[in-house]
Amino acid sequence: MPFSLSTPKDPAEAFRLLVAGRPGETALLAGGTALLRDLDEGQNHATHLISLRKLPWNRHAWKGEALEIGSTEPLRTLENDPLVRARLPGLHQAIEAVGSVALRHRATLGGNLGRASPASDLIPVLLALEALVNLRSPRGQRVVDIEQFIISSRQTAREPDELIESVSIPRALPSAYVWQRVRPSNDISQVGVAVALGPPPGRWRVALGGVSPRPVRLPEAEEALVSRRPSEAEVELAAQAAARHAPFVTDRRATEGYRRRLVTTLVRRAVRSTAEHRARRAGPKGGR
Amino acid sequence: MTAPPTITLTVNGRTLECRRVPDDERLLDTLRWRLGLKGTKEGCRTGDCGACTVLVDGESVLSCLALTHTVEGSSLVTVEGIAAEPLGKAVVAAFQAEGAVQCGYCTPGFVVALTGLLKERGPKASREEILAALSGNLCRCTGYSPIIRATERLLEKHR
Ligand SMILES: Cc1cc2nc3c(=O)[nH]c(=O)nc-3n(C[C@H](O)[C@H](O)[C@H](O)COP(=O)(O)OP(=O)(O)OC[C@H]3O[C@@H](n4cnc5c(N)ncnc54)[C@H](O)[C@@H]3O)c2cc1C
Ligand code: FES
Ligand code: FES
Repeated sequence: MPFSLSTPKDPAEAFRLLVAGRPGETALLAGGTALLRDLDEGQNHATHLISLRKLPWNRHAWKGEALEIGSTEPLRTLENDPLVRARLPGLHQAIEAVGSVALRHRATLGGNLGRASPASDLIPVLLALEALVNLRSPRGQRVVDIEQFIISSRQTAREPDELIESVSIPRALPSAYVWQRVRPSNDISQVGVAVALGPPPGRWRVALGGVSPRPVRLPEAEEALVSRRPSEAEVELAAQAAARHAPFVTDRRATEGYRRRLVTTLVRRAVRSTAEHRARRAGPKGGR
Repeated sequence: MTAPPTITLTVNGRTLECRRVPDDERLLDTLRWRLGLKGTKEGCRTGDCGACTVLVDGESVLSCLALTHTVEGSSLVTVEGIAAEPLGKAVVAAFQAEGAVQCGYCTPGFVVALTGLLKERGPKASREEILAALSGNLCRCTGYSPIIRATERLLEKHR
């Protein structure tokens, strides 16, 4: 289906265009790496696209240890910020997992969240980091917890007149994202595990992707981890809890049984990598 | 629908005006069919193979997943223009020296993607990082070994 394209120069113009079309007719275009494919494959039937590329949201900024990521900032730009790698290793690893370098030069965080794929590599780490989604509409600004923002597969709490303006990550945390897939680039993860540590010290967060219908936090695995440097036994309990409680299903990428086995290895790796990162940051006097 | 306007692109150093570009035209089609630059290949049209990679303002981009209107005013480099830059020329020479080309369909994508990476990361980038980044490009013929050797040759030269 042919479509037309508008390129608003500011948010006000974008909102006018967004409410002018009938629902389903209009789609927002950020990097286009998901939308153009969806249009080709008949998963999206929009006939009018609104390009967000001229909106002033292609930036990211640190406020102390907090990071605010504009929705249209290309993922590759975030990946190239050495502070992202040093302070939020889990986010950095998740970004590196998305598509390929050429894809990440255009793909954005806003597009990843807007699409809300259950296989997203970014949603699990945002859940573990307890990120906030900043939505803007002509009615004003609204902040939604990532947990509430993602409703189901391809379903979010965004109202039809709202745009994702930015995502806030409240604090730098030791974290990790590990995944398994058939091909390293341009493939979708069969399972992804995101882990973040603190605050308060010793409180772990574990989130999973490759589950159905949406990425989730896994309290059963979180409760098994009780110290900043978890023992082998704690890690094992967390891995087994993930295998038991994760909402895995069989699809064309992997069977449910394979995913349950896979997740134990990925949880072990993610927890260890996070504990090591914390120990390195804390230095020799880091304590337990 | 707004009348499809004229857009300006700089392609391989030449500034061009493209007239009546439909809103839904892909950069890949503009290059191949409008400008006749058939070095850029279409392998999948779904973002999976990297054969359509071009540089947009120095950065590698999949031209099959980019609307031409969204790169308006940009400076593009395709495989036809890659050897005009010293780094691109070195990449081409390394591919030739290692016999990294069989049918050649993937080659423009690899050459452009690798040139872009070396520009972005500097020629001192680690072998691991460069090879991981090249995994966005598929080759059905070479088994990748000669492509990896060509890459290593380039990196060694700059050690
Ligand atoms: C070959 C290939 C490999 C991929 N691999 C991965 C992968 O490994 N991991 C992964 O997570 N994803 C992957 N993806 C999916 C996709 O590339 C990413 O989700 C990417 O982050 C989407 O960003 P975008 O800017 O290109 O989104 P777009 O395609 O521009 O938009 C996607 C959706 O979000 C909406 N949207 C965009 N911006 C906003 C906004 N500011 N406010 C509200 N809604 C908005 C759009 O309307 C659209 O519905 C892959 C895609 C391809 C083609
Ligand atoms: S043709 Fe663009 S990635 Fe395959
Ligand atoms: S040489 Fe034939 S696909 Fe790579």
